[in-house]
Amino acid sequence: MGRFKSILGYTSAVLTFFIVLATFLGLNYFSAKLVSVTGIKVSPRFTGGEVVKIVDHKTYTTLIHRPVFDGIIGERKDGFIQIIWERRDGWPQVIEEKIDYNGDNVEDFFIHIETKTGKAMLTAYNPSVTGIEQTYVIKTGYAARILLKR
Amino acid sequence: MTNKTKGVEFPTPVSLKKTLLLALPMMLFTFMMLSAGKMPTDTNKIISLAVTFIFVNTIFFLMLYREKTDKYRAILFISYAVCFVISFISNLIEIRGSMAISQENLLLCKTPFCHIVIPMTIIPLALSKTIIFPGTMIGSFASIASMLIIWIGASLALGRGFCGWVCFFGGLDDGFSRIFRKPMIKHINPKWHYLPFAVLLVTALTSAMLLTPTYCEWLCPYKTVTEYVEVTSIKILIQTIIFVALFLGLVIILPMLTKKRTQCGLFCPFGAFQSFTNKINPFEIRINQVTCVKCKQCIRICPVFSITEETLNTGKTRFTCIKCGKCVDACPKGAICFHVKGTPLTGNADTFRLLFLYPAFLFLVTMAGSNIQDAIIRIIRLITTGSMF
Repeated sequence: MGRFKSILGYTSAVLTFFIVLATFLGLNYFSAKLVSVTGIKVSPRFTGGEVVKIVDHKTYTTLIHRPVFDGIIGERKDGFIQIIWERRDGWPQVIEEKIDYNGDNVEDFFIHIETKTGKAMLTAYNPSVTGIEQTYVIKTGYAARILLKR
Repeated sequence: MTNKTKGVEFPTPVSLKKTLLLALPMMLFTFMMLSAGKMPTDTNKIISLAVTFIFVNTIFFLMLYREKTDKYRAILFISYAVCFVISFISNLIEIRGSMAISQENLLLCKTPFCHIVIPMTIIPLALSKTIIFPGTMIGSFASIASMLIIWIGASLALGRGFCGWVCFFGGLDDGFSRIFRKPMIKHINPKWHYLPFAVLLVTALTSAMLLTPTYCEWLCPYKTVTEYVEVTSIKILIQTIIFVALFLGLVIILPMLTKKRTQCGLFCPFGAFQSFTNKINPFEIRINQVTCVKCKQCIRICPVFSITEETLNTGKTRFTCIKCGKCVDACPKGAICFHVKGTPLTGNADTFRLLFLYPAFLFLVTMAGSNIQDAIIRIIRLITTGSMF
């Protein structure tokens, strides 16, 4: 038994050197495999979730993400929806848009953004819409996270 | 084997031929890792590659020749941390124009992933297969998947040796802990040794509850020398004051006063988490009960409080040992050695040490190499053009 444990010990010790080599030489391969095999992804709390609707305006495009209520077990009471406005051929002075985030053909809120200052105002039609979490000026345009409640 | 001169014992250097023979494979592997398999064409890059190659291999040669581990490990480990800071900050300023992470970068998930976040991501990862960090899964600098692979590799190969050989932050408090010759604070209540586990528990649970890495947001002192969220609110201002204060206290002042790695040994939740990987790692530090004279030198010098009177009596270290080799170097009787689990304690200590040194040193060089090379290039640029960018 002692001899067997000893052989096992020495073998695992030598193997560690090859683990180090494999870690770095196969870093890209193993990273890709880790993602594809396990299916892990960045939490939608950070990415904003998948884009579910694209509204094409003349000079800009509105990307509407899915509502994010994701928790670690099931869904949470509080969530948000991320909207991104991407510039194409310049901006109007003001972006005004009525958004139906849950696809029931009833508008849920109205958002008004002054493109010069990035200032935003929200009017909620749906009681689940509770306010603006934050607005962001990004390279391609503007983004906002609208707070939602179940 | 030791020589004695005027009452001072020091190891006899092993033969030059044997050392060269043992160092040769490392020269080949370090060249492969540092050059990433191709020779650079740019002069600055060739210079930085040559300097880094000579530097790391001199360190390894001396480690073998003088039979001292920590003494030479620390030189490379501290250089690595300093070069990491130079390289990382320069890159951030080059790409973003500032060390601050903008709200845009957070929204677009463009934050480099850091290993310290791993313990906070474990619960959400297990339950929802999602990572609670605003980074990129794959294909960018310090992507989440690549950092996870490096962590898995390091955990299997070195266990918590990660903290002594791989962590790009550890060299900072290691460096500050070596500034003074003697500690000004000699006694730290052993109860504090459990603090990292409390920090780990609290941050892992709060992160899972709030779905955000709470340690990174509120407590990580290393944001001071890497990147931080740009101050746009009172909350972020308070977070900034906290992490700068923790950096000054835990990474600079306390290490200088105690000669210990206080951030790593008393606070870091990743260090506490990484301790558990020592259980699956084949290497450990053992204390020979027959030759040990209980002088307690090892207890005094262990940088992460991993040797106590209780562990001394059992011939083992606490499971928080970072395998830096400081106790091995310092033991006046040569009673402490690296050991491969499962093998007889009477085995050859030199063989055990070599079996550990090859993977540990190669890991350190591969992680440190690109940062040292980049820092050298930036310093050359600074000298020749007046700008690091």
